[in-house]
Amino acid sequence: MRKLECPVCSGFLEIPDDAVSGELFEHDECGAQLELEVDESGNYKLREAEEISEDWGE
Amino acid sequence: MEIGVAYDYIRWEERAIIDAIRKLGHEVKPIQVSKKVFWLTEMNGFSGLDFVIQRCVSFYRALTSTAIFEEQGVTVVNSFRVIRDCEDKLYTTLRLSRNNIPVPRTAVSFGREGCLSIAEELGYPLVVKPIYGSWGRMVSRALDRDSLLEIIEFREYMQSPHFKVHYIQEYVDKPSRDIRAFYFWGEIPAAIYRVSSSWKTNTALGGVAVEAKLDNELIEIVKKSGDIMGGGVLGIDILESRDGRYLVSEVNAIPEFRNTVRVTGKDLAKIMIEATIKNMKK
Repeated sequence: MRKLECPVCSGFLEIPDDAVSGELFEHDECGAQLELEVDESGNYKLREAEEISEDWGE
Repeated sequence: MEIGVAYDYIRWEERAIIDAIRKLGHEVKPIQVSKKVFWLTEMNGFSGLDFVIQRCVSFYRALTSTAIFEEQGVTVVNSFRVIRDCEDKLYTTLRLSRNNIPVPRTAVSFGREGCLSIAEELGYPLVVKPIYGSWGRMVSRALDRDSLLEIIEFREYMQSPHFKVHYIQEYVDKPSRDIRAFYFWGEIPAAIYRVSSSWKTNTALGGVAVEAKLDNELIEIVKKSGDIMGGGVLGIDILESRDGRYLVSEVNAIPEFRNTVRVTGKDLAKIMIEATIKNMKK
């Protein structure tokens, strides 16, 4: 598990080691919907997930 | 096999698919479409993949990346054609109806007078839907002439031109539920009722999933509908009318299945991958 900082409340989330870029997480403490970003150097960080767009769905 | 999973976000379903591919002993290549550059004039390095499972939540990301994969020689599930056709409710209704699949009575108009004329024929209440869109978003029920005109007025002020295509459908008075059946390459691995006190039963809007057993008539309707829309991996929505008719309302080309797995216990990600591999080997 990795510990990453929540960009909304600055609390921490535990992220599984096999998580991939784009994986969505909800921060239980503040309720934020977060997206895992992995850059080309393999650095992990969380950002607020994109809001639902008109063309989203199934 | 090496199997690509094209996605923009990893939700429960995409995580289940990636895990299932690995558990079945195959290599998985996650492809985050939203973070990539795709060359149209050069190959993009995916030609070694046996196939790609398309799972973008955004329709346009799904459709455009599928076009690129396919034109560069990679098979995608579902195909460009299936994703495009299923997204378009107007085309889905047309195609199913033309092939004798029961669907709600539906008409399209591009202006107010036409909408009122359709309403005279169908009666109230009736349903006005965007021809593109999901999760029940902006699907509206007109209870009378005034509310129909209000809905049309809202649509006329929307920026997206597709809102000026007014898709108007009979309101089916259903028994507080509809049916979502999964179609994987001609088989039906699972189905659920989506139970709701609201007339919109989408689980995205709070509809509760309950396992459904399909009778022979419905099994035939689901299989035929899936075949007609081009096959592959689909979620097919069916309404039951009070007078006992089954009516296909939508076909979804990138279906969500978390709630179905939860209530049926069926490992749909594994079944999907196994069925797709079997079909690829044909």
